[in-house]
Amino acid sequence: MASKGKGRKARDEDEESKTFKCVKEWTNWSLKKAKVITHYGLIPLIIYIGMNSEPKPTVSQLLSPF
Amino acid sequence: MAATPFTAPPMDAKATELPKVDEVVDYNNLPCPLPYEEIHRESLMSLKPEVFEGMRFDFNKALGPKFFLSHSVTMGPTEVPSQSPEPIKIPTANYEFGANYIDPKLMLIGRVSHDGRLNARLKADLTDNLIVKGNASLTSEPHMSHAMGTFDYKGTDYRAQLQVGSGTLLGANYIQSVTPHISLGGEIFWAGQHRKSGVGYAARYSNDKTVATGQVASTGMVALSYVQKVSEKLSFATEFSYNHMSKDVTATVGYDAVLRQARVRGKIDSNGCVTGFLEERLNVGLTFILSAELDHKKKDYKFGFGFTAGE
Repeated sequence: MASKGKGRKARDEDEESKTFKCVKEWTNWSLKKAKVITHYGLIPLIIYIGMNSEPKPTVSQLLSPF
Repeated sequence: MAATPFTAPPMDAKATELPKVDEVVDYNNLPCPLPYEEIHRESLMSLKPEVFEGMRFDFNKALGPKFFLSHSVTMGPTEVPSQSPEPIKIPTANYEFGANYIDPKLMLIGRVSHDGRLNARLKADLTDNLIVKGNASLTSEPHMSHAMGTFDYKGTDYRAQLQVGSGTLLGANYIQSVTPHISLGGEIFWAGQHRKSGVGYAARYSNDKTVATGQVASTGMVALSYVQKVSEKLSFATEFSYNHMSKDVTATVGYDAVLRQARVRGKIDSNGCVTGFLEERLNVGLTFILSAELDHKKKDYKFGFGFTAGE
């Protein structure tokens, strides 16, 4: 009976550490993807927000140097 | 509630004025203090101009009242950290494109340089009292990117802030107004990567003409500063910083003069470093910048010039 109890506790700890590792890996993966998305997408996002603010500038104003 | 004559905290450099006897201090209605990281704001403005070396040209193109693009070209030697006491400088040229959207409720600034490095800043007002700020510096090189986010809560006469950063950096700070002129604050931080943690305290006294601040931290850092506004156009600042661990002591004296068309800042250091910075408005929308930093002790002389076009 005592050995069965110890086995169950060890199994619970194993499952807990497995879920913890899963959560850690998942957050690492999502942070990496978020970093890539921010790196490529932030400037286009700011330009999109700016082009839709009042008064709406035109694309020619965006690209011309004056 | 009659005002009690208060004694200045020992960190102040000069004696403070006593309030007039018939002035009533309403302790339920104190002003909101400055954020914890801006406690030294006046001395930073006077004593830490953005000195640079080489040529710098910035062009800001406004596409609306809230949205503008910026192009920035810099050419000059940049310092590379080296083991020898002499700094190693490598000439580089850099082009940076930036897009900025500035609104009272949302501020987004992004700058990307020609080698793919992105610097971004975000400030958003979630509610009247809660502000989220973030800044990030991202590169394609692995493990060279940093990001930090902060959550600020502004109360009636206090501010609290929580910071989370990459490299498992956690920090929290709190600052409270205790009288209409004095605010006190504390902070605690933990840096997981370097396995360091620390506690710090800060105090700030300000009135119309003077600002005195003091800061101590458990990392052994003590920093005191005092700024005196002599007139609307001229102010003097002095700063003293001492690091107990590395036994580094630095005293700095500087000035900040706002003239009709120009702004001049200068400072001299106890390390034998003299700095001057001039910004002159040549014409509508054209500003000329000159910067000089002479470090006589390290024999490192840096001169820079530049233009800023657009607002």
